[in-house]
Amino acid sequence: MLNEERVILMTKLASYEANDGKKNIAIGNYFRSDYIGWQVLKSIISATIAFVVVFAMYIFYDFEIFMMDVYKMDLLEFGKNILLLYAGFVGAYAVISYIVYAYRYSKARKSLKLYYMNLKKLSNMYSNK
Amino acid sequence: MTTLLVAKQYMKLIYSKYEAYITPLLKFLLAFIALLLINSNLGYMEGINKITVVLIVALMCSFMPMNFIVIMAALFALLHMYAFSLECAIVAGAAFLLMFLLYFRFSPKDTVVVILTPVCFLLKIPYVIPIAMGLIGTPASAVSVACGVIAYYMIHYVGENATLLSGMADEETATKFKIIIDGILNNKEMIVTIVAFAVTLILVYLIRRMSIDYAWTIAMVAGALVNIMVLLIGDLMFDTNVSLLSAILGTIVSFLITLVLQFFVFHVDYSRTENVQFEDDEYYYYVKAVPKVTLAKPEKQVKQINVQKRSRNTH
Repeated sequence: MLNEERVILMTKLASYEANDGKKNIAIGNYFRSDYIGWQVLKSIISATIAFVVVFAMYIFYDFEIFMMDVYKMDLLEFGKNILLLYAGFVGAYAVISYIVYAYRYSKARKSLKLYYMNLKKLSNMYSNK
Repeated sequence: MTTLLVAKQYMKLIYSKYEAYITPLLKFLLAFIALLLINSNLGYMEGINKITVVLIVALMCSFMPMNFIVIMAALFALLHMYAFSLECAIVAGAAFLLMFLLYFRFSPKDTVVVILTPVCFLLKIPYVIPIAMGLIGTPASAVSVACGVIAYYMIHYVGENATLLSGMADEETATKFKIIIDGILNNKEMIVTIVAFAVTLILVYLIRRMSIDYAWTIAMVAGALVNIMVLLIGDLMFDTNVSLLSAILGTIVSFLITLVLQFFVFHVDYSRTENVQFEDDEYYYYVKAVPKVTLAKPEKQVKQINVQKRSRNTH
């Protein structure tokens, strides 16, 4: 016999799995540190690419002047400044992404808690049958 | 008012029934309008400046995820710019790349604003965006809106300075590059617009969240007023030549549009029909869950017209 209550609960769970839950379940498969670490790593990589693009544009912008000055200037100092800038930029970006992803992880966990509770309820329904 | 409410209920009913067709149709329309606008403003590459190409790409967009439209629009803009001059394409490409790398990793849901903002600019109703995003978004949406504004002014700049840029010889690559970057970065109007939109959006968001009556309407009115004010202050400070009349008229029209949107779109829970499948030990279930929509029929008012009873005392 079809148990109506069970079907309703299962439908709700299936709909969660197909929509909002999809992402949350994927996040829930990670440990907290693994998830955040992986996301921050991705952020650092994309920040590095972004920095290279901006730097290339900066050099290109004053290309002739830069080529004239390149012999005169202290390359070591220049390199150091650039590195400092890079570290500051990537560091700030990594901190921001850490905060964002830590928040997202805790939110996903909270949403999953309800889902798991309902799953338990469902399995109880089957065992009590 | 009652008819409007009933109309809203009907829309909900229709949406929940035909969601599978309506969403792709809307996506198709958005992609079609956006690509047409890009073609009409930039149209340098003959190959993609054809209605057939636009139709095919828009049809593709209709059943792809929302972000596909954004990627396609960016690609169209870049291709046109490439056909026009390589330097333009490099600058625009770098700008798009930075937006995607730094911001849209965090909020892929907001990406559609980047395309909606230029579209609204070209339709002359840009002020809809900050108010609407303040109503449905978060303060972080200000960054998405800013990206959209930058995208619009980039297209606008290339369109306006086409003669100047194409007049330059090919050898002057470095100078050309410099002129383009200067032209885009030093655009005071763009900066004032970004600030005005950000302030408006955050204000609308803050008021909308307050627990007061009519918070949404007050937020919209306040947002519209602040938007005009910041634009005017920016005009005074930087001589951006924002035309007062068009700013005020544009804001009023945008306010009205947001009012309609708020009534029919934002406040309404457009739950849709779900088709899900699952199984247990005994059955396979193919469930179609249709949301309940109660249709409030207009109440008929019955006016009782009673003939006044004459008092019995009268003889």
